[in-house]
Amino acid sequence: MRTTSFKSRAFALVSTTALLATLVVASPANAAATGPTCDGKTPIQTCTGTTSDGAAYKMVIPATFNGTVTIWSHGFGGNTTIPGYFAVDSTAQIAPNGPGENGGSPVAIKHLTDKGVALIGSGFSTQGWNLDEAIKANVELVGIFKAKFTTTKKVVAWGYSMGGGITQAFAEQHPELLSSAAVINPVDAWGSQSKYFIDLLWLMKTWFDPTIKLTGYAPGAGGDMQMLQDIGKYTAVLTALKAGVATGAWPTTSSKSALALQAGGIPSRSALLMIGRLAGISAQSSSFDGLVGPPGAAATAWPLAYAPALATLENISGVLGFALLGARDMEAKMGGIWNDNQATDYSKQLSDEDRSVHNAGLSGNSAITAMLSTLNPLNPDAPRIKGDAAAMAKNASTHYQNTGKIKVPTVMMIGQHDPVEPAGIVQRISDLYEADFAAAKKTARKAGKDVPARNLQVLWSVTPKTWSKFDAAGSPISIAGTPGTGHTNFTMAQYKLVIDTAISAADNGYLPWNGAHLSKVNKAKGLEIDRSTAYPWMKYYNK
Amino acid sequence: MAATALSLSVMPAQAISPRSEVGVTSTAIKLGITLPMKGSASFGYNQLPGAMKAYFDYVNANGGVNGRKISLVVKDDGYLPKQAIINTQDLIAKDKVMAVIGALGTANNKAVASAVNLGRRGIPSLFINTGFSGFNDRKAYPTSSTLLPSYIMEAKMMSKYVKETYPGKKTCMLYQDDDFGDDALVGFDKTHGDLDFAVKVAYPSLSQGVAGVPDSWITKFKAGGCEVQIVFGVASATLYTVLAAVKAQYAPKWILGSVGADIGSINPATVPYIIGSTSMSFMPSVVDPKDAYVTQFKEINTKYNVGAKFNSWALIGMNTAFIAVQALKAAGKNPTRKSLLAAIDASGSTFPNAALVPLNYSKTSNVGLNGYWFGTFNKTGDLVPNDTFTYTVYTTDSGTGPVEKSSYTRPAMPAKGLPN
Repeated sequence: MRTTSFKSRAFALVSTTALLATLVVASPANAAATGPTCDGKTPIQTCTGTTSDGAAYKMVIPATFNGTVTIWSHGFGGNTTIPGYFAVDSTAQIAPNGPGENGGSPVAIKHLTDKGVALIGSGFSTQGWNLDEAIKANVELVGIFKAKFTTTKKVVAWGYSMGGGITQAFAEQHPELLSSAAVINPVDAWGSQSKYFIDLLWLMKTWFDPTIKLTGYAPGAGGDMQMLQDIGKYTAVLTALKAGVATGAWPTTSSKSALALQAGGIPSRSALLMIGRLAGISAQSSSFDGLVGPPGAAATAWPLAYAPALATLENISGVLGFALLGARDMEAKMGGIWNDNQATDYSKQLSDEDRSVHNAGLSGNSAITAMLSTLNPLNPDAPRIKGDAAAMAKNASTHYQNTGKIKVPTVMMIGQHDPVEPAGIVQRISDLYEADFAAAKKTARKAGKDVPARNLQVLWSVTPKTWSKFDAAGSPISIAGTPGTGHTNFTMAQYKLVIDTAISAADNGYLPWNGAHLSKVNKAKGLEIDRSTAYPWMKYYNK
Repeated sequence: MAATALSLSVMPAQAISPRSEVGVTSTAIKLGITLPMKGSASFGYNQLPGAMKAYFDYVNANGGVNGRKISLVVKDDGYLPKQAIINTQDLIAKDKVMAVIGALGTANNKAVASAVNLGRRGIPSLFINTGFSGFNDRKAYPTSSTLLPSYIMEAKMMSKYVKETYPGKKTCMLYQDDDFGDDALVGFDKTHGDLDFAVKVAYPSLSQGVAGVPDSWITKFKAGGCEVQIVFGVASATLYTVLAAVKAQYAPKWILGSVGADIGSINPATVPYIIGSTSMSFMPSVVDPKDAYVTQFKEINTKYNVGAKFNSWALIGMNTAFIAVQALKAAGKNPTRKSLLAAIDASGSTFPNAALVPLNYSKTSNVGLNGYWFGTFNKTGDLVPNDTFTYTVYTTDSGTGPVEKSSYTRPAMPAKGLPN
């Protein structure tokens, strides 16, 4: 299983030297397409094969096939095998996974086949950031399916995380192939997503442990080992920061500039919160709502000054593995350092709202100024990443960058506080769509035509009103799986709702907005359709 | 033609009446407020809604606004911006209020305006209880308005007062290290108030409650030989500072900013410590025996806010409700959010109210009041201008304009305290 289990694997600390000899770097297969080979069973037939670039695929077709097929795009997976820790997983996946599942949840699969809907999906030929390879595989797979099952009428694309971004890009590039799409907590365009990852990683390294390598890894297995060592260092930093929330102490590995901030009375929790605000990660997490505190004197101070830092810590823990593995993988693919933050003005990434709302957590304006001053590009103690020209050029020209344009009826679902794919990714798409939709309505009215149907429906996975808990001593209690937080934290009922919504749109040519549909949304629990949301866009767009 | 006329004549009235506004029915208008009602940040502020409701109840008992009775939905945000966002979303989506009025706090209201998208959605947030000058940015806050004079104005006036009253004295300042304090720093700087400080201490919000921290401030001020001590902070900061000063036998001339001066309401035991201290107000003294507004509001408070003390918070709350009623009346017989905002832009500056300085609302200004008078705390902990309750009121702007004596003549209280 990919997305849902990666975090735990990433944070298993490894004995790096012992693993050096065992690393196996995955490389795309280079074979002719095979299949589909079908088992001919009834009532459910399964077909398998590989696309022309070697991506394994799977098809599940009910005997009652009604002409609608869904194509699933799976989430991010590591592109390097480290026995015992990471395994490149290229098995075909046709639906979202439930806990402990791989290849697609049987419940989700049955839900669709019972309706006469077929499911297809591949494992893709390469892992890591594989958007372009995935779209190629998906296009080919749709063609293979249609050739084999000629009664196919509708194709519905869906996927989560990396697969959400793939699904969005698929719909942007090939609307002619799709009747609708279900985009679930999608990655943003690479430019935006990679900036988010690199900002988090670079800021953590710069303040808390400058010996972290982050870029310029050795080629091949040696570089993978360096990356693993970095994971160990980041983990140590997070551990030290957790301990420092109460005391204010900075990790002993911190830079000179950072230790000067500590000497000036700025607690490490403020620096941690600052990193989160600069990168754009949520300051609310599964355990920390930032709304309630323990009874007594800390009732106000806790949610204002402590909980946001702890939430940032919890969220960073959830994204760090993805960020580092993704960055390392891209460096290998681009043949050098593909990113460069020499021109980044981090002080401009602190929004006015954050400066105000988190002022207490950031220890006031003077502390904010002091912290930002250490990130000045001229500070030799905060060296910037200098990209390799060839790798940067390749990076700039290689990847398709999602535009966020909606070209087929699309339902999206995302958590309010997803640490890997912040809600601002979908917020931007929604904002762009609303502007386009308003213009289209105006044009239609002016021409005396019918107002077009609204082609984007966003289902926000929302948190309870408050959720933090404290023990009798007033200490916070760790909470896992709070709705609206975490990455790809959805219930099977929610997945079913999303795909049913997309299929309805495929059948009718428009998304459902009626009372019956809203009842289904309510029944799935924890979801809201709210067009008044205003989550901040990813920092990449603050240019 | 005849058929059309016939069909129109039998259409039910509501079919041809203007579209009703959220929060407005033929018999009622619903408003909302979010502010700290419990917890350490709630002291004083939590008396605002009671006073506001009391005035609305009084108006309702006298016919309401064009026959509509006003209700106020109150939500506790604990002074937490994220809770203020949730509360405001609920007020709009669940309680379906027409407008938010009197919400408290700079950070909370900045967060709400941004996260709830008030401007884009055309939802009014009126008479916000903050003096942060940034809310006068009409582009960023097109549907918001503030009530208090800006902190820049306050600092400019304080500068003039200190220079005239204590020439040559070493002046020091404690200020909150956020938007609130930033505004004050602008007001004191060379191009505005031009007041020099021997010692300036910035405190991060919440640090005032940490044991030993206020003592460290006093140590710095004493070491700096401060003779005049300005406190530009929230009430809890003033409280802890005064208590630390008593402990350290530090006895400067205190000048307490308007936001945090009223510590006697929080802790009556501190009243002896602030007797003779200077502060500022834009409202008449609550113990002014000859002020018509104070007299009227006090009566209403006694009858409709039973058991609640009539203090500076009650006066501000009631005055806010009084202004709101005028705004609703000016918004027309069938008020909408749009007409309400337009009414304030068009005539808000003429609304009678208890303040001794005018409101400044217009198409280009979200700013409410623009001035202060100086007074001292008396033996009961009330701020008074002098024994005869004669006010010398100053006015200025948030720019580099001069601080001048105000020539404003306050409109008379409408008969029975009910706006025309």
